[in-house]
Amino acid sequence: MEHSFLDRYSHLGSVIHNLDARTKVLSFLTLMIVTVLTPPQCWPVFLFHLGLIGLTLRLSRIPVRYVLTRSLIIIPFILMVSLFVPFLPVNQPAGGYSLGPGSLLLGRTHLLVFWNVLIKGLIGVLAVIVLSSTTPFPRLLEALKKFKVPSLLTLLLGFIYRYFFVLLDEVLTIKRAVDSRGYRGRTIWQVKTLGRMLGQLFLRSYERGERVYLGMVARGFQGLPKTITPSRMQGADYVFLSAFFSATVISQIIFR
Amino acid sequence: MHIPDGFLSNTINLTTVGLSGLTMVVALKKARQELTEKEIPLVGVTAAFIFAAQMINFPVAGGTSGHFLGAALASILLGPWLSFIIIALVLILQCLGFADGGITALGSNIANMGLIGGMGSYLIFRFFQFLLPTNRRGFLAASAVASWFSIVLASLACALELGLSRTSPFSLVIPSMVGFHALIGIGEALITVAVLSAVLTARSDLIRTWRMEKTASELGQL
Repeated sequence: MEHSFLDRYSHLGSVIHNLDARTKVLSFLTLMIVTVLTPPQCWPVFLFHLGLIGLTLRLSRIPVRYVLTRSLIIIPFILMVSLFVPFLPVNQPAGGYSLGPGSLLLGRTHLLVFWNVLIKGLIGVLAVIVLSSTTPFPRLLEALKKFKVPSLLTLLLGFIYRYFFVLLDEVLTIKRAVDSRGYRGRTIWQVKTLGRMLGQLFLRSYERGERVYLGMVARGFQGLPKTITPSRMQGADYVFLSAFFSATVISQIIFR
Repeated sequence: MHIPDGFLSNTINLTTVGLSGLTMVVALKKARQELTEKEIPLVGVTAAFIFAAQMINFPVAGGTSGHFLGAALASILLGPWLSFIIIALVLILQCLGFADGGITALGSNIANMGLIGGMGSYLIFRFFQFLLPTNRRGFLAASAVASWFSIVLASLACALELGLSRTSPFSLVIPSMVGFHALIGIGEALITVAVLSAVLTARSDLIRTWRMEKTASELGQL
């Protein structure tokens, strides 16, 4: 059946796509940790990190629009924090807005809290999107295995990914069956049917998942998807890794 | 309930990473002992189901968003340890692959949803299973209560962390998070009961806690 894969664009060919998964995991992990540890006042550091992500994005030739749309995922949290910000204790006022009878003062700390959350959340989300859109999932698993992540965890991670598509197929099948019978699912009386559909979805996915698993075992599955070319750290990896590392470190020294 | 990067203080992040890490070590050990090869597809499908269901975020008034958690479903199907591992993996995957939840907040997210939501709801489930009659209806009622608590307790933990990190004041974040999740919890309970009742009808052999209940009641009759 047709559905778009979760790690869309991860099979493009570019300088970034060709890097070893370990390089990318390490680089972006460093970037995210450094970002979170940076005090909110050091805005040039954040700008620099955004630039670094932008450069990687440019090199990887992933559509910028796609990355920006995906990054909207942090909006609910940003909204939540922005709602709470006016209620934090005020010190130095930086501005205000009035709401009918009462007016609220915005302090410097308020804006700082909001900025802190906004920029760190955004950088984290962008880094992860670039990582997942440049690395096919089996490669990511391979990298985790090489980082000595327990095998039960990589095995189950692989299955979540594998079975997600089994589940999606079953959803589409059930949806087609339901559509052809004119079910709308709009009124409260149809909740019971919706519940049955969910239960069926689980059972059908399980039974198909079991067959998938037996098929995999029969074909020699031993815990991780096999890749035709084993991944190796090459010259480009070391260059990228050291460039990324030194860039994040230098940004801390220069811009702080 | 997936907290992004930058919302929590470093102390909170480090504490919850330690807590989740320790639980993970124990859970992996326990899971290796009790997991049979036959159960691998069930664990995989449960995890994929929860992963898929958690992706459907619906906005709640006040700017927060809610979603199906699935921690109670996993712990009733597979026991507390596997449930913790499943939720943790789903969160890791969402964080690494889909930017849902920050990488530095991963410890807190796992502690909230896997430890408190998953293992906590298991304890609540077992308690109500003990109180209620050992039949289908009692079993489903216990799972409804446990799944409601799983989401409310997880949101309480999330609110406490946000408050302790001074990102939002306690007096606002706790009532709003817990209040809205008390409503979301009803949806959570409906979904959990729907799935469990289907499995109970067709393949009751798949539910660990049901097997435990059956052996216990059969022993009582002897």
